[in-house]
Amino acid sequence: MSGREFFINRYRKLGWEHREIELKQAIRINSVNLTNPLDAIKRLQRLGLSLVKIPFLENGYWVNEAKFSVGATAEYLLGLYSIQETAAQIPATLFTELREKTVLDACAAPGGKTTQLADLMHNTGAIIALDIDRRRLTALSNQLERCHIKNTVVYRLDARRVSKLERSFDRILLDVPCSGNFATDENWFRRRTIRDVERNAALQREILAAAVKVLKDDGEIVYSTCSLEPEEDEFNIDWAMRNLDLKVIKVDCYGQEGLTGVFGKHLDSSLKNCRRIWPAQTQGFFVCKLEKR
Amino acid sequence: MIKPIRDFATLFGTKLSLPESLIVKKGNRFFLLTTELKKLALKDFFYAGTFLGEVKNGGFFPGFDLLRMMAEQKANGVVVDKKTEWLFICGRDIFRQGITEVTGPGRKGDYVLVLNQHGECLGFGQTIRDLDKQKEGVSIENISDIGDFLRREKPT
Repeated sequence: MSGREFFINRYRKLGWEHREIELKQAIRINSVNLTNPLDAIKRLQRLGLSLVKIPFLENGYWVNEAKFSVGATAEYLLGLYSIQETAAQIPATLFTELREKTVLDACAAPGGKTTQLADLMHNTGAIIALDIDRRRLTALSNQLERCHIKNTVVYRLDARRVSKLERSFDRILLDVPCSGNFATDENWFRRRTIRDVERNAALQREILAAAVKVLKDDGEIVYSTCSLEPEEDEFNIDWAMRNLDLKVIKVDCYGQEGLTGVFGKHLDSSLKNCRRIWPAQTQGFFVCKLEKR
Repeated sequence: MIKPIRDFATLFGTKLSLPESLIVKKGNRFFLLTTELKKLALKDFFYAGTFLGEVKNGGFFPGFDLLRMMAEQKANGVVVDKKTEWLFICGRDIFRQGITEVTGPGRKGDYVLVLNQHGECLGFGQTIRDLDKQKEGVSIENISDIGDFLRREKPT
């Protein structure tokens, strides 16, 4: 159970007709390092970069045209902006008030969302960022240094063992390891099988279960994947509602309602409050916000 | 614990007043915590707060945020033009013609911060000529620049 036709047929059953897309490169302004974020835009435009504001993101811009690598400018190296895919900029913005909070970024490397969280927190409170791969942790640390992040501590720790830290959190970002999607990987259909999807879905449930144990009673979880496969998205959230006593909170962001009927199975109706993002202006993505019942 | 950091800042003719209670050493690396991070009583971390620098080859080598703090304290430095900014970030030494402003004595052998036209710190170097006597040619040897963020990511 793999291959291009197999997955495209699944998407058709979910109500989406597959089409190839060309992703636009996106950047996010690190506003905390600037008195006026528009200064960074003006500087980049003077360099010859053509930028278009992303209508549904406060600090996001699409790169329309660049005569040079966007990751090789003084402004990038000075931390004035980060390169971050459009949909990947959404999850961190879904938390209510972040300033002064204690935040867990459970699968943090390479750090795009961690630096975004720190930016939204104005470097206040504390972020605890976890990952397991040493090379990816080094990349995360480099991002933190480049963006002048002050409020983050990084641990080499599997998210499933987060209770070892003996802390509870106001906000938890679960941007979990996932199967990805074809929009960001041209070999995706060749590489992926349904077994991969099921394996990832099981790991994601373990991470969700571990996260709930360290979430404060009035805390919030934002769960996201860049997978289009319902096993990693709606099915997992339906499972979390039934087994971890969580509820889905409605979010207002780019994307379509989450699915409540998948391959003949009826899921909890509140799953429509999740957001499913089929590839178009962004890569494929899924995001939802959860609280304890 | 703070002595190597203070000594390093002195090389640039500036004094840094960092809260010693918020500085932690992990292996050979120094980090400055916020009071919030300090409350978490960190142990066995990989990275924390602001990276100040590390002890390397028996000497202290600064992180870019430490240089940034020193720039805010008006440490000895030079401002360079846009073209020189990019060459410096690419690891090149600085020619006299690219320097638009000098803060401090600018004598041969001095350590200087290198700033762009916006006053942002790009790294540091050491002067190899007295800057007031020189009209052209290489003036400052590049020791460390923010292009390092790109070089670090390259596979070895």
